[in-house]
Amino acid sequence: MSGVPSPPGGFEVPLWRAVAVFRFAALAYVGVLALRDADRYAHPLVAGIVLLAMLGWTVLTALGYARPRRRGWPLLAADLAAVLAVLLVSPWVIGRTGLAGGVPSLAVVWLAGPVLAWAVSGGRRRGAVAALAMGAADLATRERIGQSTFTGAILLLLAGVVVGHVARLAVTAEQRLQRAVELEAATRERERLARGIHDSVLQVLAMVQRRGAHLDGEAGELARLAGEQEAALRALIAGAPPPDGGAEADPGTLDLRALLGRYASAAVSVSAPATGVPLPAGTARELAAATGAALENVDRHAGGRAWVLIEDEGETVTVSVRDEGPGIAAGRLDEAARQGRLGVAQSIRGRIADLGGTVTITSALGAGTEVELTVPRAAR
Amino acid sequence: MNTSGNAGVRVMVVDDHPMWREGVARDLTEAGHLVVATSGEGRQAVRVAAAARPDVVVLDLQLPDISGVEVIRGLRAALPGVRVLMLSASGEQQTVLDAVKAGATGYLVKSAAPAEFLDAVRRTAAGEPVFTPGLAGLVLGEFRRLAGEGPSRRGTASGVRTAGPAGRDDGAPRLTDRETEVLRLVAKGMSYKQIAERLGLSHRTVQNHVQNTLGKLQLHNRVELTRYAIERGLDG
Repeated sequence: MSGVPSPPGGFEVPLWRAVAVFRFAALAYVGVLALRDADRYAHPLVAGIVLLAMLGWTVLTALGYARPRRRGWPLLAADLAAVLAVLLVSPWVIGRTGLAGGVPSLAVVWLAGPVLAWAVSGGRRRGAVAALAMGAADLATRERIGQSTFTGAILLLLAGVVVGHVARLAVTAEQRLQRAVELEAATRERERLARGIHDSVLQVLAMVQRRGAHLDGEAGELARLAGEQEAALRALIAGAPPPDGGAEADPGTLDLRALLGRYASAAVSVSAPATGVPLPAGTARELAAATGAALENVDRHAGGRAWVLIEDEGETVTVSVRDEGPGIAAGRLDEAARQGRLGVAQSIRGRIADLGGTVTITSALGAGTEVELTVPRAAR
Repeated sequence: MNTSGNAGVRVMVVDDHPMWREGVARDLTEAGHLVVATSGEGRQAVRVAAAARPDVVVLDLQLPDISGVEVIRGLRAALPGVRVLMLSASGEQQTVLDAVKAGATGYLVKSAAPAEFLDAVRRTAAGEPVFTPGLAGLVLGEFRRLAGEGPSRRGTASGVRTAGPAGRDDGAPRLTDRETEVLRLVAKGMSYKQIAERLGLSHRTVQNHVQNTLGKLQLHNRVELTRYAIERGLDG
């Protein structure tokens, strides 16, 4: 009901506590003044009863505002009404002559209590409304509006606005903190999962592969499958860019390592620098696609075993794909083209040429094939 | 240690996973090596190593108490001649590179076959660097980063873009053209033998080139650490 969502716990609690302390302190001051001026009151006995009522109300509000659930409109309205009542009854208790003679009203600074409560509960605007109501009532009870009375009303208004503003700041700060804490918890959970996977699943998969790699038949096949899953999982864990790498890169760029890391498997080794290799997103995707095409070629013609190397040369980025397949004899590129092998090579060349880069294919019969893709960092 | 044959290498196995520790130790023992100690945590490993005096420490980089880099520093302080072969289950990232800079000379993924692993232990004991293609890629990238970073050291090892051939004489370690060539071929999955054939070099020369790249990186790392210590007034 309180208009603004109040987050659980947090910064608001000390503010409410401060309001309660203020009210008790203000009441003590009122008590001291009442003792001093008791003989000048028209109805001293009633003044005593009113003071007792004020004490009771102060205790009641302190308890009430301590519970977030009770900070709603009923209590706020009752609070304002109670203090207004004290203010309005003052002229009669003190008497016209007393008031005219400079005896302060019974509320004095205590009347600021509800203004502060309204401000803390609802911000600047609500604080101002309460201050205006209270100030108006205060002025209405005066015979004569002097400079000091007016100053008091203005101070009340300022207090309402400032406290309301600070309360809002505190709530906003708390919400931000809340979000940061949630984010941190999520990150930590992810790291915990990665650690857990590293400590259990990865170790077992690696073990299965290690123990069964030399076995024939089904066992060997199982070991190979375990190895593939191990590599995939490892890439997944390591794939999240380290906090110093990808995170601070500009938006619109991609870390080539993350894109090519997906190709890593038991058969494909991907080597890269430890630090990020940022490229404009489009360039990075095209280069990754060209690398993927080269790896497909390896899969079709060279048994699938391949090594990928990412190098960051500053102005340019180079990706090499090497295999140990049958290779292509020097004079037989044309024939290879007829066999359809160069079909893929052509698509690689097309992509890289569009990026303003170069493709070098080195191959010799029996010595495997090496495809080197070099692209400039800044797109032309 | 110069006899790389079956003289039996004194090996210590450090891994927090009991299953792995036992499996690896069994393989080593069956191959005729002497497993002088096993440990599940880094601090204990450093303490035990001084007494057990292994030739080679097979080290899992992710331990529950201290980082792989700290273990390697501790091991080399306690036992200067010790060689470290890293095993890692989760990818070849900054941690592996940091471990190499701290003085590890070998690296293997955990899924490597037993024969490959035993070969790596033997080669590590013989002083031969054991590189995976992934590690070679990391080292290459690191030299490029250092060259581009220029004299300002202690960058956060992040987003620093190698900006071509920057300032010349800034103390950053550099690879010779031959070393770069060799390292690139390692990163592309070629064995030392294949590289030797392709470049018309001896197997030994190829191995020396690889070893030199590691040496430069480790030396640079020590210089950086010292400089950092002096800057922070930690030297005295």
